[in-house]
Amino acid sequence: MANRTDVVDQSVAGASLSLGIRISRFGHRYARFIFPAPALLIVALIIVYPVFYTGWMSLQEWFASSLTPPKFIAVANYQKILAGDPRVRDAFFRTLYFTLIAVSAETALGVAMALLFNREFWGRGLVRTLSILPMMATPTAISLVFVMMYHPTLGVMNYLVGLVGLSPFKWTYSSKTALYAIALVDVWEWTPLIMLIALAGLAALPKEPYESALIDGASALQCFWYITLPLLRPTLIVAILFRSIDALKTFDIIFVMTQGGPSNASETINILLFNQAFSYFNMGYASSMAVALFAIVMGACLILMKVRRVGW
Amino acid sequence: MKQTKRNGIGTRGVTRREVFRLGAVGAASMAFGPFVVTPARAQAFNWQRFRGKELYCIFYKHPWIDEMVKFFPEFEDLTGMKVKYEVLPEVQGRQKLTVEMTAGSGGVDAWHASMHVEKRRFWKSGWFQPLNKFLEDKTLTAPDFDWADMTAGAVAAVTQPDKTISGIPTFVDPFVLFYRKDLYQQKGWRPPRTLAELEDQAQKLHNPPGMYGFVARGLKNANATPWAYVIYAFGGEYLTRDGKSAIGTPAWVKSMEWYAGMLRRFAPPGVVNFNWYECSSAFMQGQVGIYYDGVNFANQFEDPSKSKIAGKVGYAALPSGPAGHFAPTFTNAMAVSAQSRNKEAAYLLIQWATTKQMCVRELLAGVGVGRVSPWGHPEVKAKPKMPADWYTAYLESLKIGRAGLPEIVDVTQYRDIIGVGIQKAIEGAKAADVIAQTHKEFQELLDKTEK
Repeated sequence: MANRTDVVDQSVAGASLSLGIRISRFGHRYARFIFPAPALLIVALIIVYPVFYTGWMSLQEWFASSLTPPKFIAVANYQKILAGDPRVRDAFFRTLYFTLIAVSAETALGVAMALLFNREFWGRGLVRTLSILPMMATPTAISLVFVMMYHPTLGVMNYLVGLVGLSPFKWTYSSKTALYAIALVDVWEWTPLIMLIALAGLAALPKEPYESALIDGASALQCFWYITLPLLRPTLIVAILFRSIDALKTFDIIFVMTQGGPSNASETINILLFNQAFSYFNMGYASSMAVALFAIVMGACLILMKVRRVGW
Repeated sequence: MKQTKRNGIGTRGVTRREVFRLGAVGAASMAFGPFVVTPARAQAFNWQRFRGKELYCIFYKHPWIDEMVKFFPEFEDLTGMKVKYEVLPEVQGRQKLTVEMTAGSGGVDAWHASMHVEKRRFWKSGWFQPLNKFLEDKTLTAPDFDWADMTAGAVAAVTQPDKTISGIPTFVDPFVLFYRKDLYQQKGWRPPRTLAELEDQAQKLHNPPGMYGFVARGLKNANATPWAYVIYAFGGEYLTRDGKSAIGTPAWVKSMEWYAGMLRRFAPPGVVNFNWYECSSAFMQGQVGIYYDGVNFANQFEDPSKSKIAGKVGYAALPSGPAGHFAPTFTNAMAVSAQSRNKEAAYLLIQWATTKQMCVRELLAGVGVGRVSPWGHPEVKAKPKMPADWYTAYLESLKIGRAGLPEIVDVTQYRDIIGVGIQKAIEGAKAADVIAQTHKEFQELLDKTEK
């Protein structure tokens, strides 16, 4: 060590420092910047750069042409989103509506299933495992299966509906029912997630409140309403927010089943922005929608974090 | 020490420069090799000229492509090139292609272009390699290729306003009428000659749930192609002479009443979301009496492993309407990417795919072609894959053919606009309201994209 310092000193004295030593010195001094640099660079390239590029693109008008460059139009795209475009407005409220119906059905069913599976009964482990299988399947594959099941004349759903004495539906083949039919697929797939989270919450609940309530003569329903539900609420809120964020972004099942149709009746923000970008090549406008969607999902995330901190 | 180091760097520098020089010479000789080193080779056409090159193509799923790729090993033997390709459904394929082209990756050498959708947009974006020079170049185009053998309609469909040729036509797909020959014979009918007759026959055949009178595409965007037939039959136009929307006319309203009405009254439930796939499935299941669509979808009807009605299908040119007798046509073509690094090699591929021999093979497989001579080829006449009325319907339709979609930049968005309108009308909206809305949106689209 001392020897090396000597060498360094000598070369300093000898006017010019050799390159290798300079590099190693630089390395020693700035190690804390150099070591994380590759990771930072990758994050910058694949996350930060696209986010800022999308933001920049959202201020342009560009139809994905190699001959005409993007044209800067400032916030005109955002003005159009907020004021001028009924298709965006419809898609926005449709996205919220879809999230509302899907997530509320999932929550109600998920909690009911969790309560059921929280009881001891023979074969519980097996049924519990089977019931979370939908979550494991690929959304695209599921959607393709549902497309066939929903077929008004050849599909099995109308047969099943007929068995319980109802007249056939048109499912995804009518603008009146398409959104609900898609929400049903979402419910089928994601109810188990709420069930799992609620089940974990139930397992952690204390026994004492129930015992004292039982002594006081509370009914099962009262126990659920006044004890289980309030105690479960923090867990449930997190589960609901997780699902809501996912439901807001739903793309695959809608794209595969209806591509947003019929008559745009199942077109959510995500589908619309995909169409704008990759069917109409309206890159600037699509980018501005992506930024808007990002803001909405970000808002939901902030609420989630706030809720977790407050504890509710 | 200093001395050694400088020497070291010096030596390395020289080596590098030498390598560069060698590389440059090598590259030049490779690039100009065919012309400079062996001038004799440059004189004559030679399939082997680009031996060793590898091409990458994107194709949209279509019977033509299914047939062509079977013969790729033959092309690879002939030229010594390798072909890699992907076959994707049309919409997804075009999206992938657009992303590649926008990124300017140069990775795609050739693709099977749908001229009725891509013609203007891709040309304006500079993605088509103009083929005029290649076609004139005797060292690149085989002497027996015979460009003059292409039908006039096909050539018009691949020629841009600046006279550049954007692709070599593979087929011109007219829409034709498919009907249940067996049922028609029972009733002693002939195929409909007018729209009114068609409607009347559909009504009489209609007997749900076993038999639906009529089906055509209802799905947004996909429905814009059969729709073209109806507006032509009623005398509608897409654009005025000065390039404005010509949609808001009584002809369009009448067309909408007819088309949406036919589907509402006589088609299987859920038709509003039917693409050609659902339509032809219902037809092949024997659930539908009359159907019309692209002529090249028909070869599956005659396949007994897929179709319950093989041998029972009649083919005819579409009936005439109040404003005349037209068949909408849609032209596809093999195109070379302007970004390709192997443009000339890719040109050899698209040339091979559209030779007379390949077109004969396609016809033998029951897929129509954009050349004239293969239709009269003795082999095609000797063992026709399709019934005789399919060939007559095809050729008759080409005679009354008319480009099916407006030649504008954003054809896809036009198709979505009218597509949603048709869906709304099928579900009961008033035709006049739907057309008024479509007219407005189409004009807004033109204002935005046709500047």
